[in-house]
Amino acid sequence: MSCKDVKPQDLGKKTSEPLCTVEKLMPLPPPYDKPGMEPDFRPLKDSWKEDYCATLDGFIGVDTLKRPKTKEEEEEMIKKFLSGVDKLLSEDTNRSWIQPLMISFEYCAKCNTCSEACHIFKSSGEMEIYRPIFRSEAFRKIVTKYKKGNSFLAKFMGGDIDINIETVLRLGELAYRCNLCRRCAQTCPLGLDNGLMAKEIRKIFSMEMGIAPKPLHESGTMKQLKTGSSTGITKDAFLDLIEFLEDDIEEYTGKRYKIPIDKKGADILLIHNAGEFMAWPQNPMAFAILFEEAGLNWTMCSDDFIGYDNVNYGIWYDDVQARRIGVAQKKAAQKLGVKRIVVGECGHSHRAYMISTDRMVAPEDNIPVESCFPLMLEILKSGSIRIDPSRNNFPVTLHDPCNYVRSMGIVKPQREILKMIAPKFREMTPNGVHNYCCGGGGGFAIMNSFNFEDFRNKISSRMKFHQIVEAFQDTIEDKSIPKYVCAPCSNCKGALRDILEFYDATEKFNVHYDGLVELILNAMPFEKPFLHFLRDEEDEF
Amino acid sequence: MVFLTIFTYVALIGFVVLSAYKAYQYAKMPMHSRFELYPVPKEAGGIGDEERYHYGGSFYEEYEWHKKPRKVSHLSEIIDMLKEMLFIKILFVNNQRQWWLCYAMHLGFYVLFAWTACSFLGAVGQLVGFTVNATTGGWGTILYYITFLLGISGAILVAVGSIGMVLKRKKDAVLRKYTNPQDYFNLLFIFAVAVSGLVVWVTDPFFNYGREIFKALLTFSPIEPSIANETALAVHIVLLGLLLLYIPMTKMSHYVGKYFVFHEVIWSNDPNLKGTKTGEKVRKALQYKPKRTWSAPHISVDPRSDEAK
Ligand code: SF4
Ligand code: SF4
Repeated sequence: MSCKDVKPQDLGKKTSEPLCTVEKLMPLPPPYDKPGMEPDFRPLKDSWKEDYCATLDGFIGVDTLKRPKTKEEEEEMIKKFLSGVDKLLSEDTNRSWIQPLMISFEYCAKCNTCSEACHIFKSSGEMEIYRPIFRSEAFRKIVTKYKKGNSFLAKFMGGDIDINIETVLRLGELAYRCNLCRRCAQTCPLGLDNGLMAKEIRKIFSMEMGIAPKPLHESGTMKQLKTGSSTGITKDAFLDLIEFLEDDIEEYTGKRYKIPIDKKGADILLIHNAGEFMAWPQNPMAFAILFEEAGLNWTMCSDDFIGYDNVNYGIWYDDVQARRIGVAQKKAAQKLGVKRIVVGECGHSHRAYMISTDRMVAPEDNIPVESCFPLMLEILKSGSIRIDPSRNNFPVTLHDPCNYVRSMGIVKPQREILKMIAPKFREMTPNGVHNYCCGGGGGFAIMNSFNFEDFRNKISSRMKFHQIVEAFQDTIEDKSIPKYVCAPCSNCKGALRDILEFYDATEKFNVHYDGLVELILNAMPFEKPFLHFLRDEEDEF
Repeated sequence: MVFLTIFTYVALIGFVVLSAYKAYQYAKMPMHSRFELYPVPKEAGGIGDEERYHYGGSFYEEYEWHKKPRKVSHLSEIIDMLKEMLFIKILFVNNQRQWWLCYAMHLGFYVLFAWTACSFLGAVGQLVGFTVNATTGGWGTILYYITFLLGISGAILVAVGSIGMVLKRKKDAVLRKYTNPQDYFNLLFIFAVAVSGLVVWVTDPFFNYGREIFKALLTFSPIEPSIANETALAVHIVLLGLLLLYIPMTKMSHYVGKYFVFHEVIWSNDPNLKGTKTGEKVRKALQYKPKRTWSAPHISVDPRSDEAK
């Protein structure tokens, strides 16, 4: 069967082969239009097929979604899934989401408008299973069949699907073929959200069946709740890291700053994605220099469990974990007695702090939370630091992280800053609230099991790579000119790091990525450039 | 036909009551997590000259937003709502191919609402002694012709739109795949009502029957058409009445859902701050203790607890 003919009902088909595989990916712009410019998909191993669900599209994203070995295990899994369906649709057990969920569940007119908006669907060459309504419609069919059985009414209302182990397994994987970016929802005439539907399906698997990708759950939220950070950084390790940062800052600026930690009653508590300390320490370093130079009364937090890691992967797959982390984070800030929290360059944690957990604590315990971007703009506008934009005299484009742009409306401050510091700034198309996801959204940036990286690099991040290459068309083939993708978000940076490497864009075409604060630092008149690709070897710090 | 008078009352009241019940079901659902989606049309103010609702900005763009008054434009929200209600703007912008037929049908509904209002006015006029006909002249004649124009154009728009959508769904491989028997049934039901109306119209080209129905309803007397074919009219009234009772029980009640999705979900971005209504609602919502819990092992044991360690 061709992928084009696959229907939502086919989720229940018993096949040993994938329902749908890639036939022709969306072409990339020059110079990536030539053959051999991108690596092929890695072949699927037989052992993976036996133990996991490779029958959806041949990718395995959920490394805990194991095939049951016996008939009893199968039945047990289906039973648990269905009890999860009940809880998802119950006002008692899904209080915080029942209203938006039911609206999206009930009202789809199947007009198919949303498909054109989805970068995964388009990048894959319009693979049917990635159509935003495919997943939602399959879920509707499952619920209708479950609630109405084999009756005429069930068939009349679309409940024409088998609920067997393949249906459950494939749906479990399919819930992780959506970046939860909500671009499709913007185009829906009824305001429905297929990203929400994907997230809600993930909840059945995690909250009822205990199945979620390890990077999100076991080494994500569980680790964070146990150690304080999903990176595993403990309080002592965090304090050591801060000392290293101070050394690096001294080496770069020639000044010894004391990074304030646990300063009671500070005006600002700055919180970072702890991944920054490991993968991009230049980011917290740049924040520290900027804040100190601007003379802010600020602090970071080493106290309590979660104070120094702003991530909350729970918002992608599990409400209970999201609540545990969100409440603990807010308590840590409260204990410190700070006036406000400022979230660093991390998209999902912007949303987790300011939107998703906003209604999880009583109003008096809800310390105001701000984004770092208006604050950075305020610092630049105040004139308290000197800026020399000519230091950033290379092409710069901006990636808009879905979480704080589409879902929070923080659009202009970053652009105002870029206008002040980057003379060769150009927009991607589309941009702002209509941007495309980096392909790492909804947890994909950290999901690397089996061949899932291939799905991300070649499919979910493809549209973003397309946009980047388009934005730099004028200079892409001139290797002497560095090009900079400004991606002020830890997860997006993770996805970008991977695509630039996968497509060899740094090596071949001198394309780089990093955040916004690094670009501000690079425009500050320190002796050496701040951005690593502008530095000579002797400038390294 | 007293039955028709009673049935029409039942259908009209049923439509209103069932739609209100649907709205009540959504309205009584618990407060949910915030889930706004930009652009939010009430967001005013902004950096530079452009208002936030133009580019999708929000109050979070403001430095120390929590210390500043919210800038909200109700006018912009109303304009956006009107554009959506009157023109189905989002569909027009994102999917013009679907828009034509869909809009034809919806415009047909609006036109037929107007026809209903004109028929009602005509009936009231006639009951209080005005003449509403083609020849006397004055307001009565204007109303007579407006009623005619609205009736015929509305019925044709609905008929063309609904059957057009059925054919389109049948023809387009993708749409066909996602269309359930009920989806076809709903459209065909609407088409049948429109066609049955046109059949009556053939026997009564100036829609006198509309006024006659209202006169019967207002005077609680049997519906007895002067010109229109009685059987055709009875079929039309029964079909229309059944449709009115059926709509609120299906996803065709999206006039209810759409209100909630926009006002309660994607445009609802009031933060939980001390001393605000939203804050108080949150406080109340937090008091709820669920009767059941989810079953995965990590749910019952908090990883931070001594038990877990
Ligand atoms: S745009 Fe909305 S109504 Fe249309 S198919 Fe997509 S989710 Fe359904
Ligand atoms: S939320 Fe994003 S990734 Fe998911 S279906 Fe919609 S557009 Fe596609």
